[in-house]
Amino acid sequence: MDSVRAILIVLRKELVDAMRDRRTLMTVLLSSVLLGPLVLVAVSSLVATLEVTAEKREVFVSQPADAPTLVNYFERQTFSVKSPPSDYEAQLRSARFGDPVVVVPKDFEAALVRGEGPVVEIVSDSANQRSQSSARRIERLLEGFSRERSTISLALRGVSLDLLEPVQLESRDLANAQSRATQFTGMLPFFVMMAVLYGALNAALDTTAGERERGSLEPLLMNPAERWALVVGKWGAVSGISMLIAVLSSLSFMPAQWLLRSDTLAALFRYGPLEALFFVVVLAPFAAALSALLMAVAIRCRTFKEAQASAAVVVLVVSLLPLVTVLNPGAEAPWQLWVPGLAQNALMTRVLKAEAFGWGAVLIPVAVCAVIALLGVWYVSRTLRSAALK
Amino acid sequence: MIEVAGLAKSFPAGGGRGGGSSDANRRNARVQAVVDIGFSAPNGTITGLLGPNGAGKTTTLRMLAGLIEPDAGRLAVDGFDVRRTPRAALARMGMLSDARGLYPRLTARENIAYYGALQGMRREAAEARAEALADMFEMRPLLERRTEGFSQGERMKTALARALVHDPANIVLDEPTNGLDVLATRALRDSLRWLRTPEGGSKCILFSTHIMQEVERLCDSVVVVARGRTVARGTVAELLAQTGQTDFEEAFVRLAFGPASTRIGSGHESGPTGAAAEPAHG
Repeated sequence: MDSVRAILIVLRKELVDAMRDRRTLMTVLLSSVLLGPLVLVAVSSLVATLEVTAEKREVFVSQPADAPTLVNYFERQTFSVKSPPSDYEAQLRSARFGDPVVVVPKDFEAALVRGEGPVVEIVSDSANQRSQSSARRIERLLEGFSRERSTISLALRGVSLDLLEPVQLESRDLANAQSRATQFTGMLPFFVMMAVLYGALNAALDTTAGERERGSLEPLLMNPAERWALVVGKWGAVSGISMLIAVLSSLSFMPAQWLLRSDTLAALFRYGPLEALFFVVVLAPFAAALSALLMAVAIRCRTFKEAQASAAVVVLVVSLLPLVTVLNPGAEAPWQLWVPGLAQNALMTRVLKAEAFGWGAVLIPVAVCAVIALLGVWYVSRTLRSAALK
Repeated sequence: MIEVAGLAKSFPAGGGRGGGSSDANRRNARVQAVVDIGFSAPNGTITGLLGPNGAGKTTTLRMLAGLIEPDAGRLAVDGFDVRRTPRAALARMGMLSDARGLYPRLTARENIAYYGALQGMRREAAEARAEALADMFEMRPLLERRTEGFSQGERMKTALARALVHDPANIVLDEPTNGLDVLATRALRDSLRWLRTPEGGSKCILFSTHIMQEVERLCDSVVVVARGRTVARGTVAELLAQTGQTDFEEAFVRLAFGPASTRIGSGHESGPTGAAAEPAHG
């Protein structure tokens, strides 16, 4: 029988079979496709609150009446001074209160006049993200106060102000708008890769270990179709489903960006049809390789459950990939293009940063994925017969 | 027409993968599942492959399906050698193996049509054939139902229809009545009898079993296998005459386990070959 025809028959049957498994499909859609956009929206609302705090220009001082000079300075910097709630320490700890609190000693004014260097505390909770991000701002504000005091005292003693600032500081940020946004959107590639993985997982296990468990593999092999054609058909279906999830997952960030709560982030995060298309192009070979790999792992297992346990290793490795980039901050090394997963992560990050890259960067991962897919299909074809006999 | 001659097959002992034993002798030990099995099953005849558990029946049928490579011997289906032209041989056979799993999310019709397509049939032809088979096995109401939740009998009928979808000239069944109730067994027997007749297509039907009554009621010809060898061939009457018995069970026990064996202690489960002779792949 014509092998191409056999491949198409198996492909069609496996696709129909997988599409009928509605519950699994819905779980994958909900967990993988929606999760990324949801996290993106959540991050944007965090950024938005930080922005609001920064814009509000508020500073909480525990006893403002004890430090009129400091309050005066704050107000001259157009900050409004507020009193924190009385149990602010407990509230900061439980993250119900999100602003650091400036605590001045009782005799602040007198000590200041005498030049005794009164201790001013900035109370925040390093486990409380919101208070932590504002603490640095308040710290700078207080440094400004100290500088002003010292400048005035020295100026009164006839010291030139130029001597006080021998070096002028000015910082220049080289990052373009999009690469700045990747601080927040850097985890998107990870989400789409997990979506691809979960898309392939169930179908890969069902067409191999599931088929063994049902006892339908042995009768299947009694058909006059080449074994490799059966495997290629199955692999095609698994990859197809995985790619479908990849497409949905990539597209899902487009509507998600309309929901972005932070204007800054929305302005920085440019994700249009072109970016989505590129994501899909990068992910397709990854989906194909991952499908073959999962099938090769699962064909050795007698039951679906056993296969799930074995596949957990693959899932774990893919989940831990982002750790490599965390442990190696800075530009990605050339070798990363040779590692599936890392390569896709690197390419998608470059797309998000709107960085240019050459054909080599695209072709190397495609070639690596093709080799893995080929080896996987070959291994499954080779193992199929002995697997059928339990 | 199925012809088997001088078939032999051995498996590594102890579960196939070494069994963790460091003893070289043990690692090299092999279980001879099939020593010398030979028979021929002509067209228009129901041939029974009768033997105790572990006699090598399933191994023989798996070799016939090309799932296991024999160590020696010849297998031919309508003259097509299974080892040299496995696809041609498989296309002429409808096989219902021990494993008869269906796809639970597909309907009975889709399950049958899938195998039809894999056998090279056009879609309409496979669909038409599925309906004809549904009429034959009285399972028309099942056709559009998903096979999830089918009873044993319903599964069996679907699996049988699936195996016969390409209207093969040779039908091979491995313990087909396993798990079937009386009515389903009777229906299956009637179907097989009809398939043997010229109107049914004068099929060559080969089935393995360890149940005497089935052989007595159904088979035109019996091949008795034990300890991996063909020990007797003939009709039920011929085998009775050969052993000088009137009871077929008694005749079978003598043929399978030797004349010395008595009624007590010579049940199927306690045959000298034991269960180890069946292949046990890891």
